[in-house]
Amino acid sequence: MSGTFVGMPAFPEAARAALGDTQLRHNLAHATGVIRAKRAAVVGELEEAGIWEDLRLAGAAVKQRALDDLATHLETLERTLTEAGATVHWARDAAEANAVVARVARAHGADEVVKVKSMATQEIGLNEALEAEGIAAWETDLAELIVQLGDDLPSHILVPAIHRNRAEIREIFLRRMADVGRPAPADLSDDPAVLAGAAREHLREKFLRAKVGVSGANFAVAETGTLVVVESEGNGRMCLTLPEVLVSVVGIEKVVPTWAELDPLLRLLPRSSTGERMNPYTSTWSGVTDPDGGDGGADGPREVHVVLLDNGRTRALADDVGRQALRCIRCSACLNVCPVYERTGGHAYGSVYPGPIGAILNPLLHGQGDPQTDSLPYASSLCGACFEACPVRIDIPEVLVHLRSKVVDSHRGDRVPKPEALAMRAAAWAFSDASRLGLVEKASGLSGRVLARLSRTTLPGGRPAAGRLPGPGAAAWTGARDLPAPPRESFRAWWARTDGGRTEPGPGVGGEQATDLPGRPVADAPPPEPPAAQPGSAVGRQPVPEPERLPAHRSPSAPADPTGARAEVLDRVRAALAGVVPTPEPVPAPVGPVGTPAQVLDLFAERVADYRAVVERVAVADLAAHVAGLFAPTDRVVVPDGTAEALLAALGERAVPDDALSWADLDGVDAVLTSASVGVAETGTIVLDHGPGQGRRALSLVPDRHVVVVRADQVVPDVPDAVDRLAAAVRAGRALTWISGPSATSDIELDRVEGVHGPRRLHVLLVADPATAVDRG
Amino acid sequence: MRVALSVTCVNDAMFPETGKAVVRLLRRLGCEVDFPAAQTCCAQPMVNTGYLDEAVPVVRTYVDAFAGYDAIVTPSGSCAGSARHQHALVADRGAVNGSDPELVGAVAAAPPTYELSEFLVDVLGVTDVGAYFPHTVTYHPTCHSLRMLGVGDRPRQLLEAVQGLRLVDLPKAEECCGFGGTFAVKNADTSVAMGADKARHVRSTGAEVLVAGDNSCLMHVGGVLSRQRSGVRVVHLAEVLAATEGTEGQS
Repeated sequence: MSGTFVGMPAFPEAARAALGDTQLRHNLAHATGVIRAKRAAVVGELEEAGIWEDLRLAGAAVKQRALDDLATHLETLERTLTEAGATVHWARDAAEANAVVARVARAHGADEVVKVKSMATQEIGLNEALEAEGIAAWETDLAELIVQLGDDLPSHILVPAIHRNRAEIREIFLRRMADVGRPAPADLSDDPAVLAGAAREHLREKFLRAKVGVSGANFAVAETGTLVVVESEGNGRMCLTLPEVLVSVVGIEKVVPTWAELDPLLRLLPRSSTGERMNPYTSTWSGVTDPDGGDGGADGPREVHVVLLDNGRTRALADDVGRQALRCIRCSACLNVCPVYERTGGHAYGSVYPGPIGAILNPLLHGQGDPQTDSLPYASSLCGACFEACPVRIDIPEVLVHLRSKVVDSHRGDRVPKPEALAMRAAAWAFSDASRLGLVEKASGLSGRVLARLSRTTLPGGRPAAGRLPGPGAAAWTGARDLPAPPRESFRAWWARTDGGRTEPGPGVGGEQATDLPGRPVADAPPPEPPAAQPGSAVGRQPVPEPERLPAHRSPSAPADPTGARAEVLDRVRAALAGVVPTPEPVPAPVGPVGTPAQVLDLFAERVADYRAVVERVAVADLAAHVAGLFAPTDRVVVPDGTAEALLAALGERAVPDDALSWADLDGVDAVLTSASVGVAETGTIVLDHGPGQGRRALSLVPDRHVVVVRADQVVPDVPDAVDRLAAAVRAGRALTWISGPSATSDIELDRVEGVHGPRRLHVLLVADPATAVDRG
Repeated sequence: MRVALSVTCVNDAMFPETGKAVVRLLRRLGCEVDFPAAQTCCAQPMVNTGYLDEAVPVVRTYVDAFAGYDAIVTPSGSCAGSARHQHALVADRGAVNGSDPELVGAVAAAPPTYELSEFLVDVLGVTDVGAYFPHTVTYHPTCHSLRMLGVGDRPRQLLEAVQGLRLVDLPKAEECCGFGGTFAVKNADTSVAMGADKARHVRSTGAEVLVAGDNSCLMHVGGVLSRQRSGVRVVHLAEVLAATEGTEGQS
């Protein structure tokens, strides 16, 4: 099992140890460099289209709108989830949340659970809590698996094993896989594709037998009771759809008010996170999709639990400046651009939330008083690269400075003030009166003369300097940096002595006449306003009209609150937001330029192919014959209910109808043939709403090859169009699977390899002539 | 237009030549600047270390010293950023702790503070300042001028117009040098690691001189470059722009 962060030293000491690890620094510099370049490329496309900044504003506005009226949205979410057949639990803290998961697992006699990568469950220490109850929690994300097998700690939000290189990962797999399941092959190489293949084999038996899955959620849509998990490998889809029981631990800040408002977030997250236009898989589901779900049954788990987690979030919510940190969508863009993180790695932050966001989130969740947590707001040079990269515009430097003031204020009652506090008081005293400052500078000038006489160091250019000096502050500076000796005369003294240089001879500052230069100033022109950040205007679409109410799975009754957690969390939320005025209307997001229908289809084909999927254009009349030729004579091809007769006939004996197939049955077939609901050109995404011809979610997941037929009239220009078009299916309670290329991972040195847990081959047949493609709106 | 020079505490005490260069440069361009002697510091050292109570009287000193001017010019992106983005925050503290309730209004009424390159390009409308600096130079855009103020390519426009100057690109120019105020001492190991990488990139350009618009960052990178015996000099942008054939010798 993984280690814990308890007892970590404060940041400067932990950083010193990390900085001494040259292999770690090499791994980090390589990995962050790769991902920064990927992000720059896909963000650059939207900057070129002129919508990136507006998209950031829209993303920030959606999350802020959710937070500003959080109690209302949480109550809505609870109601819609319950109507959709889920059981909602509330947890004030980690212990309560862990207890819910353990209780559910025990109720089903499970001694193991399979887990989707989830920051919330890392934060609450769920694995350790379950282990204490005799329940094994298997991490199934590749990077989490590497961390877990290596008895290691996560060091990055997106890529927890970013500090490991391929050679180290090979060693871990060879040494540890056999202890907990299927061993790694003896001839395992350090090729990332081979390592990912070993993880696929190792975890598949766990996926197929697990009774209970555990997840977090990237977003929770209050309006429709829809949870959203964004992933790459397909391990998430495995955990969300194969077990009979699913427990999702969801931080209360994950709420998004309406389905339509998911749009900017679904465009921002993958670009900021993995540096892709769209991540390979996004799953959305609303409660229990089918009450007969599970192995051999219908679609997805038959029992769904959602734990709404506070654990310090209401403390952060109550902080007027810090509240914005709860907008975080855990993309890790701030880590990847942070010069401090790049050099120290994530462990130095002593938390599952490292990097710039961790430096603000941990103090906001835990408050002041612990020396390790109190050191985090100072673990930044305030360079601002994080704010620039943040897709939801969290002003991390602003919050860092604010939290530093909270640390300082928490020490104002100290009986013995810290040396730094005394120094700051002295500085404030000198800086409050220029004549005092003048005296200090005179003393400094004297020390400069002494230093200049004693020191044998000179800076390039000839100025005397101090080499290594004793004393806490001076030693910290001069350990590796020379320090210029103070000048004999301060600027202030010079100005007074020479009347601002007017009485000084020589080429200096004296009364030279202005030369005749281009662009001579107009002496009395009023000064323009200094440039300020422009809050770009959000352009675009009409808000989606209010939807009709869902048909209820279950009649709503008064929500149960056996532990009192529900009432207390909601009370804390309301208290934290006293005086905050909510934004009533959804926030429109900008849309990019749209080509002609033919261009949209071309773009779709090009973008699907970018993921190294196979794309073919097929005329309607040729489809059946083409499908017949796609498979080998001995292939067994699963076909969902509702598959067209012509296609069934084309497959003949090779067709395997989905007659309540078990997961093991599915694991034994060669391929699956489905239709789709929507294609998204901009991102090369295919969306299945699992209606007729598309099948249960497991069908397009377990077999290793997925052939999918997309009609031209299903292809829309971009994500907002898809969100709009899919709204009806979501409101009808359907689960969605967004597929962008074959399953993939970048967890080993940020090197993308196709094929982990989902189908390793994706084959898209784009049907009908371009004239039938649809235009936006 | 009455223009005041905010020389900054670091330049006042440690780098007076930069202040003199600003005066010489602006005077050459026909713009006379005052040096209000009551000025001390913009209060950024206190604010960025978390000492807001201590910052209140310092910001009060700043706004009183510069009251009545039309514009403030300062050879520091960081201090300009502090005046424009942090003084209001400090004023709020003065109102909350009751030490200076009127500071909010005084900060709101204060004249705008311009970083030097903004003042030259936007206010004076000049990019060729008639300077002569016959050296190979690389330019480091300091974080606060780059990201907090958004000075963009103004410093480059100014440098490209300097006679005799050869400007070479700095790899990873936009990455922080690691100074960060008290960060340089509180997290000295990380600060030095960042400074060492910046120094490595500077040396890879072959430039004789590293130029930036903030002497605090230059003190840090220059300190590393000096300790490495690299021979690379650090010079503030103002001093390059103030240089003439008189100061640098005939070509």
